Amino acid sequence: MASNLPYTKLIVRSVSLGVLALMKFMKTVALGFSLFIFLVIFFVPGSALGQSSSSEARQTNSTEANQNTQAVTDAKPNTQNDEHRHRYHVRLGTIGVGGAYSRFSGPFFYNPFWYGFYPYRLGYSPFFYDPFFYSPFYAPGYFGGFAYGESKGEVKLSGAPKTAEVYLDGAYAGTADKLKSIWLDPGAYDLSVSTPGGSPFHQRIYVLSGKSLKIAAKLPQQETKQKTTEEKQ
Amino acid sequence: MKLRTCIAVALMCVLSLSAETPRGTVPRATADRYPVHAAQSGVTIGVTLLTPDQVRNAFASDVNRCCLVVEVALYPPKDSTVGVSLNNFVLRVTGTEVAAKPSGAKVLAAKLQKKAASPQDRDISISPTTSVGYESGGYDPITGQRRGGGIYTSTGVGVGVGSSRPQPGSTDVDRNTMELELGEKALPEGEASAPVAGYLYFALPKTKDKKATHQLEYTVNGNKIVLTLP
Repeated sequence: MASNLPYTKLIVRSVSLGVLALMKFMKTVALGFSLFIFLVIFFVPGSALGQSSSSEARQTNSTEANQNTQAVTDAKPNTQNDEHRHRYHVRLGTIGVGGAYSRFSGPFFYNPFWYGFYPYRLGYSPFFYDPFFYSPFYAPGYFGGFAYGESKGEVKLSGAPKTAEVYLDGAYAGTADKLKSIWLDPGAYDLSVSTPGGSPFHQRIYVLSGKSLKIAAKLPQQETKQKTTEEKQ
Repeated sequence: MKLRTCIAVALMCVLSLSAETPRGTVPRATADRYPVHAAQSGVTIGVTLLTPDQVRNAFASDVNRCCLVVEVALYPPKDSTVGVSLNNFVLRVTGTEVAAKPSGAKVLAAKLQKKAASPQDRDISISPTTSVGYESGGYDPITGQRRGGGIYTSTGVGVGVGSSRPQPGSTDVDRNTMELELGEKALPEGEASAPVAGYLYFALPKTKDKKATHQLEYTVNGNKIVLTLP
């Protein structure tokens, strides 16, 4: 049994070497066949590619190729320029020029899980609304912001200083310069506008869907200033 | 824990009830400040009929569509009270039998609520398109004939039909808001020991006569006061 082992190994090796040689041969044959097909396509007259794209093939021409070429040249008024057989069609299409502008006017998302609650973080969002201090409900515009909505009404705020702080139902909404146009859901709101050194302006406003409400928030301090300037004049 | 929650809920309810919004308007310093004023049985009344422009500025709701607005201020006598009730007021067109009592906020809000747009009321956008271009010459792929280039034109019309959209102030939320506004600005009813003021809404039909005047009748302690409004 032990003496048969070298022969077995020899046989296995021979077979494997034979398979490898056969594979190499097949590979060579396949490559050669592919090359043959390629040459037939490009250089044998009458094949489709040879007619259309190779001018050399037309020069070596067979009778059939000549007939085809002649049939085409008969139809052409100018037979000298064969390159003109390519058909170029230039169509002027629609040219559109546009632009878009989007502005995120709503409050940004504040996640207390990441940043910590208000007392534990100094620079928290001005839009952060603490229900413990103001109301168990969220502040107006907390979710949708003050951006336009089809079912909302507009409040146009004017007359207030740019740095005046605007409050809606007791919640801080922003500064007056950024809240010239506020879109709110229909309902009644308490609007307050105040400056650090002056008396606040209060008004109860009623917002109806699709309607615009103009509020001239003239702060008492401004009025007194105006009066003093008038008196001076 | 449950006890704390119950106390918190009860406290919130009490606070919400106590935080009542102010009703009516701010009365002027004296009744003389009103264009029309009178006194009867110690009670002084000041009245003004709002013009359409004043109504437009004073209300977010389009009250001009339904009624006349009269601002009324009542000044009770010192150390006494006066009973304020809408039933004590009547507005009459001078020289006619046309008269009306003040309407409530709920009724007016229902009147003012515009009818929602019908499903057939849609936005239709028509966008005409026109294009002019130039095509270079070439050979016809079918006949092989040379085809001359030139200017080509084309026109078309795009029609887009949008979904129906409700009219402004037509939703139920709007009606509630209008009711709230009219109610909060109306003359508050009840016993008043201090000056009170507010609006009264009279759903009178519009008269063609521009010179027509109105008379406000106010009954206090069985005595009637007639105030002619300009």
